[in-house]
Amino acid sequence: MNAGPWNLLRIVVAAIYLFILGPILITAAVAFNESNRSYFPPRGFSLKWWGEAFAPQWVQPLMFSLELAALTAIVATAIGIPLAFAFQRYEFPGKAIVRTITLGPLILPTLVTGIALLQFLTVIGLGRWLGYWALLIGHVIICLPFSVRTIAISLQAMPGSVENAAASLGAGPLAVLRYVTFPIIVPGIFAGMAFAFIHSFTDINMSLFIAKPGQRPVTVAIMSFLDFGFAPTLAALSILSLLIPLVLVALLGRFVGIGNFLYQEQGRG
Amino acid sequence: MADPALRLQALVKRFGAHAAVDGIDLAVAPGEFVTLLGPSGCGKTTTLNLIAGFLMPDAGFIALNGKLVQDLPPFKRDLGMVFQDYALFPHMSVADNVAFGLKMRGVSREETSTRVAEALSLVKLDGFGARRPNQLSGGQRQRVALARALVIRPAMLLLDEPLSNLDLKLREEMRSEISSLQRRLGIATVFVTHDQGEALTMSDRIAVMSDGKIEQIGTPAEIYERPSTRFVASFIGSINIVPAKVAEVPVNGYARLETPAGPAIAQVGGAASGRSVMLTIRPERLKLAGAGGAPSGAVAWSARVGRVVYTGARLEVQLRLADGSEAMAEATNDGRINLAEGQGIVAWFRPEDAWVIAGA
Amino acid sequence: MLTPTAQSRPIVPFLLVLLPAAFLLIFFVIPTAFLLSASFIESDGVIMTGVWTTQNYADLLSRPLYQQAILRTFLIGIAVGVIVILVSYPLAYFLVRTTSPWRGFLIALSLSPLLASVIVRTYGWWVILNREGAVNTALLSVGIIDQPLTLLPSSMAITIGLAHALLPYGVLTIMASLNGLNPNIERAAMSLGAGRIRTFLAVTLPLTWPGIVGGFLLAFAIAISAYATPAILGGPGTQVMATLIRNFMVQALDWALGSAMGAILLVSSILLLLLTSALGGRRAG
Repeated sequence: MNAGPWNLLRIVVAAIYLFILGPILITAAVAFNESNRSYFPPRGFSLKWWGEAFAPQWVQPLMFSLELAALTAIVATAIGIPLAFAFQRYEFPGKAIVRTITLGPLILPTLVTGIALLQFLTVIGLGRWLGYWALLIGHVIICLPFSVRTIAISLQAMPGSVENAAASLGAGPLAVLRYVTFPIIVPGIFAGMAFAFIHSFTDINMSLFIAKPGQRPVTVAIMSFLDFGFAPTLAALSILSLLIPLVLVALLGRFVGIGNFLYQEQGRG
Repeated sequence: MADPALRLQALVKRFGAHAAVDGIDLAVAPGEFVTLLGPSGCGKTTTLNLIAGFLMPDAGFIALNGKLVQDLPPFKRDLGMVFQDYALFPHMSVADNVAFGLKMRGVSREETSTRVAEALSLVKLDGFGARRPNQLSGGQRQRVALARALVIRPAMLLLDEPLSNLDLKLREEMRSEISSLQRRLGIATVFVTHDQGEALTMSDRIAVMSDGKIEQIGTPAEIYERPSTRFVASFIGSINIVPAKVAEVPVNGYARLETPAGPAIAQVGGAASGRSVMLTIRPERLKLAGAGGAPSGAVAWSARVGRVVYTGARLEVQLRLADGSEAMAEATNDGRINLAEGQGIVAWFRPEDAWVIAGA
Repeated sequence: MLTPTAQSRPIVPFLLVLLPAAFLLIFFVIPTAFLLSASFIESDGVIMTGVWTTQNYADLLSRPLYQQAILRTFLIGIAVGVIVILVSYPLAYFLVRTTSPWRGFLIALSLSPLLASVIVRTYGWWVILNREGAVNTALLSVGIIDQPLTLLPSSMAITIGLAHALLPYGVLTIMASLNGLNPNIERAAMSLGAGRIRTFLAVTLPLTWPGIVGGFLLAFAIAISAYATPAILGGPGTQVMATLIRNFMVQALDWALGSAMGAILLVSSILLLLLTSALGGRRAG
């Protein structure tokens, strides 16, 4: 490799990383401001806004988001497993259609899916579902593609004949699933859960339309407060809500090898 | 008379319009080592999958030890199978891999650990129990796959091209190991391969397959010395094939033939009839001599030496026969052969070393 | 995969798929179809009267305010798409070709903005671009300007914010395209005398063109339906389709216009998706 052009590329890439990480780092720095303004570079140094971020009015939406994301991840995985098996292992009439409606929410704007759900539920008289149940349903729909995809990927990556080998050794279909198939795809299942969790936790487009005032994910809570200005507390809160997915991904990367799934992922935010 | 370990009768399997297995009949005696040999696409792996139960036949019967099994799923057939990619369970240790079949059969823990240790010892992997498949070399993985299949003491052993992923030296080593293991345990075995060397050295009998059918079943010697069809003749080893016409009706199994390379006398097997036949001679049976040097009673043709190919232990001498067609003679490299390209030579063979097969 | 169950029991896939498909049908397919049809039905606030009409679209498309919003949305989308591919290509190229032991970490780092909710990403831009923010402070102190510039709310701010947020998608798409490229092709070009830059222009770039187009379309499609970034970095004067939809559906409760705008967004996305798969048919060599 010629050094010249490559070195130039490295400089450009460094600048790009600055561009990518800059705003995030700046948001973190802003949270250290002494006064209640979002100066950058921060003036003064104070941790009080970080403390503020743990006030009940923020902890409540944060907990709500965590709970919702966890539940979404579980439900999406539960629904995703049979779908992934069906797509990966069988041919059946209508397979393409089912595939399309499963992956559709990944491709269509979350916003549209959200308002469609809002409108539909209201019109058919299930307006009281808005809030928790509708949120759960909406989140599951947009997170399902992630779990289906990762599970399908690990099914596909399964070494060729191990299931046949198990069968030849006397394992019936259920024993094969229990002792061979599932243990091998467990990393894929966890990766899918992680992606679904993160997608739900960071969602705003769907939640904005479906959430009710008393039951709001933290993203919606922050958005509403932005109407009143850009307080450092919000900066602190945003960064804290970044840490949770970050830790999750790091943990899974360490124990489950999530990297394998990252490069195939081309979902929408 | 005891039931054969395996009987296949009129077995057919179609994929769409194409018959991958097109009417197979085969019987494997208890303790016998039978190889299904053929080029890719001949149906040998499909046949093995039918025996194992991973495919259901469209017609025909499969009987194991006299019991009809073609409707049984694989986990009820009591077979031990070794797959081409070994298919070791990546999430289990070597010991757990080997123990899997025993676990499925509900064998007690003490007995399992004893038998697993025995099986590992049998394949010379003592002490490897705690290792994981990804820590093993290709040859070691293969032994684990063997141990796993044998520990359950199956009625029959199935091997699907187990040696094709190994390099040459390892392959030869594993060939003799599998052979001696099989003989020691006396377990009926069906072995699938496209490698004739493996087939010839390991088998009691070979079934040569092509296009979903068995062309010939016989011992290695029968297949090699008395091929029944042109396909079998040219699939195993190299062979010289010369078109011939029967000049005189066979007497005592021998007939006089007219060939473009010269007159000949050769054995005519039962399958050869009609006036147009093919005369086959293996290269190592085709000898070379100077003018007039062929012994009496031999068939002698004049020829010209073409290229001489040096392969170490042997010399392959390409010849041009009287009619311009090509043949090959193979001679041991005893250090004393001195041939020049273009040299005139006499190629001779004994009538009993040639074999006539039907066809044009 | 040859397992007997797959052959002998065709009912199994149906059982597996039944409940999930029903769930998706009820809560995704039908509502979406409903939205499309609702845009053609007269509405009084949130009550639908059941009268078929194209008045909703007429109302929507006749007002200059809304026309501008739609136009603005698509222009921003295009600008975002262009910026994304211009910036993510060098990064993707670097990540694919580098031999650094930090490669995995660098890839994760480039994708990490995906983990941050859009608010985190956009907040920083607000801090940078507002009247007392970093850019103005820097320009003032150097003396280039003597009055702070009003950089936001503006379409430009929205564009920058969105491009920043969508960079990872461009990186992923282009990396996938570069990975599919046989490295020997570049080596062949170089062995024939083309320098690094020539090889890139004559070989790499044309062969990764499908990835570039794919990245552009992906960024475009997401950008036109983005809500939070335009809401934070834009204002009443810089509405986009998503912010208008929110106004209609949740604040003004005018579902007639809301569903019409939503339908336009939906159809645009579907068209972009079809365009992407049509162009994606050509694979990089």
